[in-house]
Amino acid sequence: MPRNKKTAIFYLSFFSRMTASAMLRYLLLFVFSCFVLQVKAQNFNISGLITDEFDVPKNNVNVQIKRLNRVVQSDESGLFSFQNLASGKYKISISSVGFKTKNIELELKQDTNLGTIKLVQSANSLQQVTISEKLGESRKKQESLNVETVNADFIKRNLGGSLMKSLERMPGIKTIGIGSGQSKPLIRGLGFNRVVVVENGVKHEGQQWGADHGLEIDQFATDRIELIKGAASFVYGSDAIAGAIDIKPKAQPENNSLGGSVDLVGKSNNNLYGTSVNLFGRADKWFFDGRATLMNYSDYRVPTDLVQVYNYPVALKDNYVRNSAGRENNLHFNAGYVTEKIKSIFYVSNTNSKSGFFANAHGLEPRQVDLSLHDASNRDILMPYQQVNHLKLINKTGITLDNHQVDIELGYQHNFREEYSMYVNHGFMPAIYPSSMSIPQNLEREFDKKVVSANVKDRVAFGKHQLSFGLNIENQQNGISGWSFLVPAFKQFTSGAFLYDKLEVNENLIVHGALRYDYGQINISQYTDWFASDMNTPNGTVSQNLIRANALTRNFNSFIWSAGVNYNLNKFVFKGNLGKSFRMPIAKELAANGVNYHYFSYEKGDPNLSPEKSYQLDVSLGYNEEKWSVQLSPFFNYFPNYIYLNPTAQLDYFYGAGNQVFQYAQSEVMRYGAELQFKYRFTDNLSSEVLAEYLYAEQLSGDKKGYTLPFSPPPSALLNLTYEPKFNNKLTGTYFAVDYRITGRQDNIVPPEKKTAGYSIFNLAIGTKLKTGKQQFDISLQAQNLFNTKYLNHTSFYRLIELPEVGRNLILSLKIPFSFVKND
Amino acid sequence: MKNYLKNIGFVALVVIAFSACKKDEDAIDTTYPEIDLTIANASPVQCATLVRGEKFTFRAKFTDNVALGSYSLDVHHNFDQHNHTTEVNACAQDAKKTAVKPFLYIKDFSIPTDSKEYVATAEIDIPSDVDAGDYHFLIRLTDKEGWQTIKGVSIKIK
Repeated sequence: MPRNKKTAIFYLSFFSRMTASAMLRYLLLFVFSCFVLQVKAQNFNISGLITDEFDVPKNNVNVQIKRLNRVVQSDESGLFSFQNLASGKYKISISSVGFKTKNIELELKQDTNLGTIKLVQSANSLQQVTISEKLGESRKKQESLNVETVNADFIKRNLGGSLMKSLERMPGIKTIGIGSGQSKPLIRGLGFNRVVVVENGVKHEGQQWGADHGLEIDQFATDRIELIKGAASFVYGSDAIAGAIDIKPKAQPENNSLGGSVDLVGKSNNNLYGTSVNLFGRADKWFFDGRATLMNYSDYRVPTDLVQVYNYPVALKDNYVRNSAGRENNLHFNAGYVTEKIKSIFYVSNTNSKSGFFANAHGLEPRQVDLSLHDASNRDILMPYQQVNHLKLINKTGITLDNHQVDIELGYQHNFREEYSMYVNHGFMPAIYPSSMSIPQNLEREFDKKVVSANVKDRVAFGKHQLSFGLNIENQQNGISGWSFLVPAFKQFTSGAFLYDKLEVNENLIVHGALRYDYGQINISQYTDWFASDMNTPNGTVSQNLIRANALTRNFNSFIWSAGVNYNLNKFVFKGNLGKSFRMPIAKELAANGVNYHYFSYEKGDPNLSPEKSYQLDVSLGYNEEKWSVQLSPFFNYFPNYIYLNPTAQLDYFYGAGNQVFQYAQSEVMRYGAELQFKYRFTDNLSSEVLAEYLYAEQLSGDKKGYTLPFSPPPSALLNLTYEPKFNNKLTGTYFAVDYRITGRQDNIVPPEKKTAGYSIFNLAIGTKLKTGKQQFDISLQAQNLFNTKYLNHTSFYRLIELPEVGRNLILSLKIPFSFVKND
Repeated sequence: MKNYLKNIGFVALVVIAFSACKKDEDAIDTTYPEIDLTIANASPVQCATLVRGEKFTFRAKFTDNVALGSYSLDVHHNFDQHNHTTEVNACAQDAKKTAVKPFLYIKDFSIPTDSKEYVATAEIDIPSDVDAGDYHFLIRLTDKEGWQTIKGVSIKIK
């Protein structure tokens, strides 16, 4: 057996047998061994010159050493270089938009100059997709976590009502949503504060805990998105216990360019019209990139005219979900300075949305509404509705120094969320809203979150090691208002330091080890009712304003680790990762004490919850042939103390207005599952894809022992057939795609869920890039739920009230790119 | 080596395929409790009328396949006709009006542990000075596992 493979098995058997403390010790040893190795390694450089077909030097060309995941760009004079490389075999890939990718293999024994490398123009501009696909493939081979990459093209092809809806096609990714425009990610059945969303390097902080709250991200402003399925806390911090959605910064425009694009979108189901206009430019080292997006949609339609809101029959007029209309307007501006050594970019964005809630299913009980008012227009937004504004300022700076890559991200976010609903008294609230109140009568709830965050990371490459270490700090201030109460105001500080080493044992084997320490503090403010309640005391009945949340300060710290391996042999890809993750309890879990008007439940926090811990094993096996490829990604996950909102047998009339008590508790949880991806290319033009997923979750202790976790997605499979005919230079990138999604029934439920029947739906997608003269038009058309099938989605927020999913929806989108400056 | 790896992959596939098929037959309770207002002397029934200044006795039969949890009663005005009812037949309603001193009653009650069947009775005093008109009578029932059933009945207070 060759020595390399022995090493691999040595490392693997190592990690599988060790206890946590022993593991720690060995990890430290492993990390220190890097430094020892560095002394021995001798380093060389690779350099070269890139030109186009006419021998003109080309800048901004990506030159990548795949197995090190190192990318450099050629400079103004077309030159590039890699420094400090260990001797050995390397594959270098040179790629640029509109040019054929060139691969060079070499054995490095001394400093090497590759001379002039000439790039040849490619026939179509689909190249960009291919490049990012290849980048995705190489990320997969480099990361021991389960990483999937999607790009803007994927989003355009699968454009849904929100970014997360568009990503839902990926196996293992589901959404939990409300209405047609708001949704949040569920990764392998876990969501809310268990999934981190990162935009431009900074963790997105909204009101993640609420199922009715969407994600304040503009999908038109995204370019490349990485989906990390599995425990990713060691990279992304406390909340990434189930995974992360990492929205990567957009590539900066090419030099001497000034251009942009106009996107137009229309949807038939909710009569949506929208546009997104982009303008960018770059002169030498400076660039800017701006975007404005507007969306306006009416109530959406479902294939039924009667829904049962907790046994209360509600008729829908012309199948419209009453009051689900909305609007969205977003602004983005990025500007930055880019040189070979320093890259500093400012990102400023503001997303603003207003959307209605299904009027019959909000409040203390299902409500009858004024039909003449509500059904007068499908486009108006009446009460109850939500209004959210998210402002974000980020600076992302990267400094390249010899073999160091330092990244600094600074962010400020302000999430301001208001929920409006007619005043409904419950408990001892006065029947008539007092005129002396300073809170507006219709302001049910308000959340005001201000977040400052800072990340610093250094990546050092030496010898066969790539060592990263860094620090994350975040400080939050959360205010509340409104006549109702659910979660108190709080302040939160979190910080973490991590160390991560990636060791290239040889061309086929990469070993990963990471350690992270986190410290956090949460300060919860006291909340006192604005009205008096009658208290029964030994001295008789006393009327007083009740304290609903006591002031509370909790400190948390945690030490976590992760270890992984990648083994890539020709066509075979194997990876495995074992790690411990943790999550701090959030303010809602510690101190909620009020009625949730969407679920007709009284939710109660527990101030003594301990930080959630999770152990997860991820494996991924892949095999890539020329015509087909397969990837299977099973996982096993164990939580000793999962934080769970437990529906109890109690009802509470005092704080809960007679509603059922849902109490936060902790239980042991086991989960396992797998995703399967299979691709087959029949001919140059015809290909097929099968995406499948399965998940099982069980609570092993506590009140709901034997039950699953809420929102467990049922097994599902997606069968795809894509035809991509090639016409001529005027018509490129043409595709016809059919997705057939089969979803099994979900009988594995926990209160207050209902069993959900299986279903199957068809989606169609057609698109092309049309060139007339010099102008290009990207056209795409989708037919979602082609046969207007009536089905219930087990992970939908409105599942409980038997509201079916969106009916047939035709989506037409047109992108018109333009350019003012001709590039050579 | 290549074959060896292929075999590992195959074995892993088979193991996963089988574990995915494993049916968990540990019977968990997924049945909702039931509220029965059709028993003799059940009260209030849909469209019933209660009288101000009098005592009223609530009476209904609760059943569950495993064990009942608890129940709560909620009487509130429906002068703005906001309320629904879970019952099929609608009742004649008075004209909409603004509440002055509406009757409000919310209380939760326990049920003896491990009861599969329970006939609940509760006495409710209706004060003589409350507004007359359309009211809504809401019964919430849970079982031990936390499944909840709601029943809403339209009533009048005169």
